This record gives sequence, structure tokens and C-alpha cells, in this order.
Amino acid sequence: MTASPEVFVVGRDAVPSAVRLDGGESLRWTFVVPPGQSCELCVEVDLEGPGCEVDIAGVYLCKSDEKVGIRVLVRHDSGSCVSRQLFKGIVGGRAVAEFDGLIYVKEGAQKTKAYQENHTILLSGEARAESRPQLEIYADDVECSHGATTGYLDPAQEFYMRSRGIPEAEAKQLQMLAFVAPVLSRLPEALQEEIKALI
Amino acid sequence: MSDLLLEIKGLHAGIAGKEILKGIDLSVRRGEIHAVMGPNGAGKSTLSAVLTGRPDYQVTAGTVTFAGRNLLEMAPEERAWAGMFMSFQYPVEIPGVSITNFMKAAINARRKAQGLPEMKPAEFLKLMKEKMALVQMKGEFARREVNVGFSGGEKKRNEIFQMAMLEPVFSILDETDSGLDVDALKIVADGVNSLRSPERSGIVITHYQRLLQLIVPDVVHVLKDGRIVRTGGIELVDQIENEGYDSIA
Repeated sequence: MTASPEVFVVGRDAVPSAVRLDGGESLRWTFVVPPGQSCELCVEVDLEGPGCEVDIAGVYLCKSDEKVGIRVLVRHDSGSCVSRQLFKGIVGGRAVAEFDGLIYVKEGAQKTKAYQENHTILLSGEARAESRPQLEIYADDVECSHGATTGYLDPAQEFYMRSRGIPEAEAKQLQMLAFVAPVLSRLPEALQEEIKALI
Repeated sequence: MSDLLLEIKGLHAGIAGKEILKGIDLSVRRGEIHAVMGPNGAGKSTLSAVLTGRPDYQVTAGTVTFAGRNLLEMAPEERAWAGMFMSFQYPVEIPGVSITNFMKAAINARRKAQGLPEMKPAEFLKLMKEKMALVQMKGEFARREVNVGFSGGEKKRNEIFQMAMLEPVFSILDETDSGLDVDALKIVADGVNSLRSPERSGIVITHYQRLLQLIVPDVVHVLKDGRIVRTGGIELVDQIENEGYDSIA
């Protein structure tokens, strides 16, 4: 395993499904689900040796009637590993997005640090997003957290921008770009620009 | 060009079905600064919300003419393009959007609406630097996210900075003095005063007299329970300071 960052555009790149890390290995993966792409993305990472570092992020952009499922399982079988997950979604039209994230910490996998976040913005009343972050922890000396939010674009921000002359559509776009920026910033610049143009 | 920039006639407006403005008449000529004073709940912020087109407020009667146009038919961004600006009482935080990108978007949107090309980057940076100096903001300010983590004083200075960048012909200062210490108040007032000109007008909305000692208005209106109950000169400010709003019926 290498620590070099890898980016996967669903529908364009071959997407990894399962990987095992031995002691001291690391990975940094970023997934992009572009508009128009329905998918069932399953990622399983097993940390089998101590001192691993895992950093997984993803962004999903659903605008019409996509069905996107993202299932992530990070298994801390060995102690002293760090895992981070950050998934952000923008869901509009009649699209349905589901996120299942499970952090499993095996008995004896002490000094584990595991974090998971999933945030979604809904653009329409008919769009649906479900988030099921789960922690399953069988060790007692660990630091784990998970968080999930689902909301709409903030009308106060939109009005503030419009009052400065930024048109409604552009104000919404700026808000969306800001929302996904923590994930987009992980992509190569050309791909960033390509994805920005799709938002 | 008419001397009259803003003309409000018989304006009734409210929010969530509750009438707050109950017939406002107010005219502002070019070059004039008007103060709108009043106790809490008088309708001061509703007036600024209606003038800037906040979508959650409803106008139920009356007209507002701005530079010869029907203001009430214009979208908030169209009002900005026509030269209207409001310094928000509670400036909104926009995480992830830098001051630079925010101002670039605002300036270029108006230029686009006016059929002008985007402002050249060098020209934009020069303008940013000049206007930041006006409100004593340091260089790193340009990279900060809009209002995120700003102190109360920084937020209000940011409002005046934006006003200076956009060079509006009509500015509404909505309780810009609230939550400001003396030094910040002075910076804000100096910024506003430096923008005064015979072509520019504004409304200063405030509860207190202290901002009006620094930004001296030409006309003073007292708003109570959704109506302007008195219009006069600066002497009204002193009367309110000494005798309170109850002294004005």
C-alpha cells in the first residue's frame, strides 16, 4: 500500500471495494459521484496492523432522479490506528441518497481513533437523504465520533448575497461550492474545475 | 434627473400575516441623509427589510419609487444593481466563501448586469486594498470567510467595507451602531462620511443618538408603532435623548 492520494470518479474509474492494511500503512481515498450517476458504492477497509492511517472522503451530487447508496465499513481489528471519513452530498430533484457508515472497533484494539461525518444538503422537497452512521466498539480506550446533518441552503445567506447584487442562482451555487469545498480541495485542480462546473 | 431618489407612499407591510408598517410616507432627495429613529418594535427593521426586498416580508399596500423605478417589483439583486445597499443589523456568516470571492462575485454580477466586462484582477485588488484601509482592515481580512469568527465590530466594519466597494447611491444603515464600542463606531462613521456626496443618499436607522452625532442627518423621522409620528431636524434627536420617545406623540 502506498500513501499517495487516490481519486475515484464513479462511472469513470474502477472503484476499489475492499482493502486490508498492515501495520503502519496508510491510504487517502476520495470518491466523486457526479450528477446523473446512480451507484451503489461499497468500501470496506480492514486495519489489521497497528499504526495505520485511513482518510476517506467523498462527495455526491445528485440533481434529478439518481439513486446513490454509499456504504463504508472501517474495521479497526488492530489498535493504535486512525481513521477519518467525510462524506458530503447535495441532493436535488427526486434523487435518493443513502449513507451507511459503520466503524467497527474490535475487542483489544485500544488507542483507536475513528471519526466519521456525513452532511447533506437537500435542494428540493422531493429529494431524500438518509444517513445511518454507526459505531460498534468493543474496546474501552478509544476516541470515536460520528456526526450527520441534513438541511437546506440557508435563506439568510442567500438573501445577504443577493442584497450585494449576486443573482439568486449564483448565490445558491456559491453556497453549494462552499459546502463541498472540504472534499473538492482534495482533488487535482483540473478535476476540481470540472466538478465545480457541474454544480 | 429628478432630485427625488426614493419615494415611499402609504406603505403597509408585515411578516407572517402581522402588519408592522401601517402607512409610511417618506421621501429622500439626492445627497440627503435621513435618520429613522424609534423604540424597539416600531418597525425600523421591517422598513429596511422591505426596501431591500427580503422575501419573507409582504407589502400589502403602498408604493416605493427608487430612481424612477417601481422598487417593489425588483429582485433584491436588481435593487443592488440599481445602487441600493443595506448594512445589516446582523451580518450573515458564510462559511467557505472568502471576502475576496464574495466581493468579486458581487462586483462582477453588477458589471454583467450593466453589460460591462469583469473587473481586471489588478484593478480589483487595488480597490480592495483602498477600501480595506478605509475601515482599517488588515491584509489577511481579504482571505477570511465572510463574517465567520468576526467580532461585532469587525462585522460592522465589514458592512461598511462592502458599502465602500459597491459605491451605492442609496445606503441603509440598519442599527449599524448596535454592539459597537466607541472606537469601532468612529471607524464606521468615518467610513460612511467619506462616502457622502451630493449624489448619494441614505437612511440611518437607529435607536440611539450617538451615531447621529457622528453621521449628522439632514432630516430626522420618528417611527412609532409602524407610523412616522414626527419629522424634523437634528433637534428631534436631542429631544429624544433628553425626554425619551414618550415625549413624542
